[in-house]
Amino acid sequence: MQEFLNEINWAIIAPLLIIQFILVVVALIDWLKTEDTNGPKWMWFFIIVFINIIGPVLYFIFGRSQR
Amino acid sequence: MQWRILFKKEMIESWRNKKWVWVPLVIILLAIIDPISNYYMPQIIESVGGFPDGTVLEFPEFAPPEAVLMSLGQLSSLGILVIVFMSMGTISGERKSGVSELILVKPVSHFNYITAKWTALLVLVWVSLFLGMLVSWYYTNILFGDLSFTAFLLIVFFYGLWYMLVVTLVIFYNTLFKNAGMVAFFTILTIMIMSIITQIFGHVLEWSPNNLTDHILKMLMTEDIPSQLVGSAGITIAISAALLVFSVIRFKNKAVL
Repeated sequence: MQEFLNEINWAIIAPLLIIQFILVVVALIDWLKTEDTNGPKWMWFFIIVFINIIGPVLYFIFGRSQR
Repeated sequence: MQWRILFKKEMIESWRNKKWVWVPLVIILLAIIDPISNYYMPQIIESVGGFPDGTVLEFPEFAPPEAVLMSLGQLSSLGILVIVFMSMGTISGERKSGVSELILVKPVSHFNYITAKWTALLVLVWVSLFLGMLVSWYYTNILFGDLSFTAFLLIVFFYGLWYMLVVTLVIFYNTLFKNAGMVAFFTILTIMIMSIITQIFGHVLEWSPNNLTDHILKMLMTEDIPSQLVGSAGITIAISAALLVFSVIRFKNKAVL
């Protein structure tokens, strides 16, 4: 595994991680600001933080309540 | 003038929804995830291990057009899902919450209302596609080999037409149904049926919009724009225009609200 980590060119992988990170941060900021979400608010926190890539997207599509 | 105000309203709304942040990011992710993971496949399999000593695994070398195909593959499946889910409530949601009534009691033409929404969505989708394919193009050049910038622009243009059809379908079903779920369901169903019909009657339907990706690949292989690609593009634009007109008519007649 260690060998594998060394072999990866991080310049290539970094953008993937950065994009994921931005998605999570933007989703969390939005989550903090909203009063209510579809379903329990704390549940969306876990979805955003713990489900890779798809979590924030699920929150943006289904979590935000339409007024 | 009125159209510009409506368009601006749409833009502000999708900015506040954070759509302008997450849709481009997700499309970029989708566009690059397959080329990168395929590039690292030998290392991934090696580190997972489980093969006896001396096992020889052959990994194919990918040419640039194949890398583009990987990107487009993801964009055609998950990308379309994201676009449909992102836009399914654009009119139906406003009807439900009463916003569209607030807008339409004023002398707002239905044509402006629909086309402003359509254009705003299309701009978002096209910008996302452009950025996604730009990053994918960059990776293709680093990892797999040269792909000219002109080729990249042509890919974005022709594939953008396919996304335009999807957006128009969403708008069309938005004028038919009040329920966002129904809009998403019927849009995806329509795309699936179109692709099945294209597969069955492939020999007669060479110009089907579903063949755009195939024709784009052919264009990359032969480095020439095949006539079928132009045909498919024309048909796609025609269908989209017709759907848009239907949407306006449909929306007008139903505007009893």
